[in-house]
Amino acid sequence: MHDAAIHAIVILLLGLLLGTAIVIVRMRELWAAVMLTGIYSFLGASWMLLLDAPDVAFTEAAVGAGISTFLMLSTLALTNRRAKPQPGLSPVPLVVVILTGATLIYGTFDMPHYGDPDAPAHRHMAPEFLADEVKHIQDAEHPEGKPVKVDVGNIITSVLASYRGYDTLGETVVIFTAGIGVLLLLRGEPREDPSEDASEEPSEDAP
Amino acid sequence: MDLLFDFLSVICLIGGCCFALIGGIGILRLPDFFSRLHGGGITDTLGAGLIMLGLMLQSIKVGLTHEMSASPWLVTVKLLMILLFLFVTSPTGCHALARAALSDGLEPATVDDEEQPTP
Amino acid sequence: MKQQTILRIVAKLLIPYILLFALYVQFHGDFGPGGGFQAGVIFAAGLILYGLIFGLSAAREVAPPALMETLTALGVLIYAGTGVLAMFNGGHFLDYSYLGGHGGGHAEHHGILPQGQHLGILLVEFGVGLTVAAVMISIFFAFAGRERVQ
Repeated sequence: MHDAAIHAIVILLLGLLLGTAIVIVRMRELWAAVMLTGIYSFLGASWMLLLDAPDVAFTEAAVGAGISTFLMLSTLALTNRRAKPQPGLSPVPLVVVILTGATLIYGTFDMPHYGDPDAPAHRHMAPEFLADEVKHIQDAEHPEGKPVKVDVGNIITSVLASYRGYDTLGETVVIFTAGIGVLLLLRGEPREDPSEDASEEPSEDAP
Repeated sequence: MDLLFDFLSVICLIGGCCFALIGGIGILRLPDFFSRLHGGGITDTLGAGLIMLGLMLQSIKVGLTHEMSASPWLVTVKLLMILLFLFVTSPTGCHALARAALSDGLEPATVDDEEQPTP
Repeated sequence: MKQQTILRIVAKLLIPYILLFALYVQFHGDFGPGGGFQAGVIFAAGLILYGLIFGLSAAREVAPPALMETLTALGVLIYAGTGVLAMFNGGHFLDYSYLGGHGGGHAEHHGILPQGQHLGILLVEFGVGLTVAAVMISIFFAFAGRERVQ
């Protein structure tokens, strides 16, 4: 009974995600499409909570449903509100997309099932992280319990910031670069400062 | 004691879901922007409020009967804070939407508009 | 109706709690869900709310755009600097056990300041939160003051 209820919730949530995605693609009215992307992010955050990942759900809700919707709306205030109509169904991109999608789906048949304890991701590093982090494991050398390597309560933070610190440094640099890119793009216009042009001296390359 | 709390919280949860459903139907079926805004407001405040109340009753039940650590009471207080935050922000959101619509020039549909076509 | 009274009062009530919640998420990331990314986004959301309601010039006084751009770089510098500091103390890059100067073993807690791994994680998450918040606010300032294209 418990399993059936959870299965029903999972199927309902995935159905809502699919429906929202289809409506976003087909919608021509851009304000509504941006709002629907916010709803999609919120449903994605609920989905991640169902998968027992509260940190990721938190980040998805804050970034996807919060800041991202706001930034897209503020961009939309600068342009048109309706998307131009698509020119019609062209066969070549459709065939390319279907072939690529089919190849990718065929490739996923080799992957282990979700939650499989024999999967390589669950056998290589995860047990070592957990063995180092779970407290009060007693063995022969440490009768009061082995000391924990990274003594931080949240194991996700310890993996993110300590065991995989390089990756998080890379992510931070990515966010930094994205910010710089946006600022370069949006500040790229020449300044209308008349004093700057007037005071520019002629070049002194007279022979 | 368990049964009483369960009963009350189920009533609150089902009531909250019913109000959310009513609000959703209102948003779809009402004719004008401002009346649809009113439907959305019902969903946010009364629907979410009753659902939060049902969840708080559940956590109070766990805190009273199981005598665990302080964490069920902490959960209750956190749910109360979320409820207060919702009560403050969602009417403000509706107010901001109505202000934006009015300043953009959208007029609410009144009864006078409907009486003209009838002979 | 012209003065946005309700919106200003509610914003004045809420913005301190939003910023406080951002700090809570930042420093509580060691013990529960949270960490630098979420905290930076929530902090930026509080300041963006201030800018939306009280005007862009007021927001520019609170968070000057030049300062925000400096802070984006400062966050990454704090993160990489923690790694280099660990290298100065004799360990590998980003090896937090060497931050306290002891090196290697699991030193006991010597006082109220965090040591070793805990200190490293706190510094690193602080750098991440700083960069994310400053980038979001800079992007908001870059988008918000522009005219319509057409």
